[in-house]
Amino acid sequence: MKGLLLIALVSFSLTSAFSQPGGNKSGSRKKNRVSYMTKDRMQREENKFLEKQWWLGLKGGTNLTKAIVTKHFSGVSPANYPIADALKEYEDFKSYGSQVTLEGTFYFRQLSLSLQPTYSRSRFVYSNYYAWSDPENAGHSLELHYRQTQKTEHLVIPLLVRYDITATRLRPFIQAGAFAALLINAGKEVTISGTDYASGGEHEFSGDPIIVGAKDLFAPAFYGLMGGVGAHYHQGNIRLSLDISYRYGLTNIVSPANRYGNDRLAGVGDAMDDMTMDNIVISVGCVFPLRFLGNAYKAVDNK
Amino acid sequence: MYRRFLLTLWLLPVLVMFFTSCVEETTPELEEEKFARLYDDNRFNESIIPIDVAQTTDGGYLVLAKRRLPESHFTGIYLMKVNSRGEFEAAQELDVQYVNPVGELMVADGNHYFFCMDELTVQTHLVRVSENLEDIAVNPLQAGLTYPAAASLQGNEFLLLSYDHMEKLSVLSLVRPDGVVTASQGYDIGVGDEVDEPIINHFIGGGKKFPFQTGRIPGGAYFFNGFYNYTFSLVFTDLNSEEPMGVVQGQHDDGGFSAVLPIVSTKFAAARFNFGDNFLLPNVVLPPNAITSSVDYPGNTLPELVPNATVKILRTTIDGTQTLVFASETRSKQIALLFYDEATGALLGSHYLGFSNPFEVASVIATEDDGLLVCGTAYLAGRFPRICLFKLPKEELAEKVRR
Repeated sequence: MKGLLLIALVSFSLTSAFSQPGGNKSGSRKKNRVSYMTKDRMQREENKFLEKQWWLGLKGGTNLTKAIVTKHFSGVSPANYPIADALKEYEDFKSYGSQVTLEGTFYFRQLSLSLQPTYSRSRFVYSNYYAWSDPENAGHSLELHYRQTQKTEHLVIPLLVRYDITATRLRPFIQAGAFAALLINAGKEVTISGTDYASGGEHEFSGDPIIVGAKDLFAPAFYGLMGGVGAHYHQGNIRLSLDISYRYGLTNIVSPANRYGNDRLAGVGDAMDDMTMDNIVISVGCVFPLRFLGNAYKAVDNK
Repeated sequence: MYRRFLLTLWLLPVLVMFFTSCVEETTPELEEEKFARLYDDNRFNESIIPIDVAQTTDGGYLVLAKRRLPESHFTGIYLMKVNSRGEFEAAQELDVQYVNPVGELMVADGNHYFFCMDELTVQTHLVRVSENLEDIAVNPLQAGLTYPAAASLQGNEFLLLSYDHMEKLSVLSLVRPDGVVTASQGYDIGVGDEVDEPIINHFIGGGKKFPFQTGRIPGGAYFFNGFYNYTFSLVFTDLNSEEPMGVVQGQHDDGGFSAVLPIVSTKFAAARFNFGDNFLLPNVVLPPNAITSSVDYPGNTLPELVPNATVKILRTTIDGTQTLVFASETRSKQIALLFYDEATGALLGSHYLGFSNPFEVASVIATEDDGLLVCGTAYLAGRFPRICLFKLPKEELAEKVRR
């Protein structure tokens, strides 16, 4: 699935980029025509290029995830201690993920409308801690630590409005919009470690991780808002880009119907909380213009 | 190319709108339909082993369990109430004077009842419990019944099996909710000290446990699964004579029935054990007026189950099919649910609960929403016995039995 998606994205990008008017073969013929253009016509074309343009390209990078709990759930229900002691502890923006994006942008007078379908892999981690002890015998004690890593793969489809702050060679921009994220796959890894004080000494141990496919535990789709900043740098016919965005999830990423659907996880008392997911997304890439390419695949853009 | 791109540009937002309409939300119904809970107690030396569970009128569940008592040979009494979502609400540990709680957890007059005994006198007591655990009354039975072993609700009365260690009798009694014994009959287990040794060991923590049980053929004879004539047997009686109407004999204390569920007349669903082997008999005819042997009924052998496995049988309707649910425990320490067609005895499907920690079955009941609730023991961290509950929704059960 992942492979097909990547091939489709790359094929679409390349096909779009190389199917524009102004390929190498026709370049020499057009060269003559351009040379006879009047100065006014050139200026008009240049303005058109600057005012209205389609851009298509690829970008990729890394992301960090924060899970925001909207309702707590636990497979372990304490009978003689506060339930707060059984709640999960989340690690915010600590685990790196990655993403690759196909960017299609329509530019008009410093404003752009951009559709950026993204294959995004995210990771987030939470932990549970349990302890059993005997107040009358300090040696009767066991501590267990469950560390649970969630790995999700989504097709994120953002629709963004972008504003170029300047019209210079280096163009800083701001962008904002909304996105839908469609679940492609998910997995969970549970690592159990602990310290046993009751078996003749202080003994630290850790078991083999429990690794399970967990697609059913996550919602098939979620959506949210996103915004960010970045900059384009014009280099020849292309624009190099760097942008940092914040994806703010609005809806539950967990499937409530399947919360207890994985027996391996239920067996260790795991039940995922209802949560939304935020991401910090950092991407670099390049985009190609689709209109008004001139000689030798060169844009009519003097800036 | 541009047209294609434009088409894509407009198509994708439509798709986005379509997919975003599918938002996942938690509803109270979803929380009640399916859950899996392990009820932890952080006391290192505590052992809590469930016996039975019953649904309460508020949709929650009441669990009867036994707990280890450090200074007693017997097990103490632990009660736990959870809500309809399986969330812990309350627990009660009864005074250590009262020990050896015995299932079933029976409902009469809006209260829950079970039997236990006094630690010193071993006299049987009837415990009445309100649903919220705020009102618990323990009263001795008027008759001097000792060592309660099993009980069930028959109409408005409780059918109690107890052991008379003085006369060496298995005693079957009818007990009213007010503690009055309306009928009682003893059945000779045999002569000699070695005869009652396995019975006494059953009551002592750590000893071999026997699947004592009582019941009644609908409109017919009473029965108990217990010791009679030197053997762990299924004994049919009308409670009028010390001679049983019929007996299905076991193999001393190494064989017999591990669970029996009367369906109609002489038709039963049953499970038996024989020197460690287990056999399930979803459709078997047991004559209540004859003397036969449990080995006369072959059944389906299940090597995956632990030797002499605990088996619980539930009769319920799943996806419109009258179904027998056999709950037991596997060598891999999972709880196994096996679904059989009541009419034909054919296996419809199976389902396994519990991974990563060891699990043992205690009870399985049908819930008001046509689901199943499985109660068992989970050994947290592989060593601490605690109560666990698995609630399965009717849709999932339907998938298990659908062919």
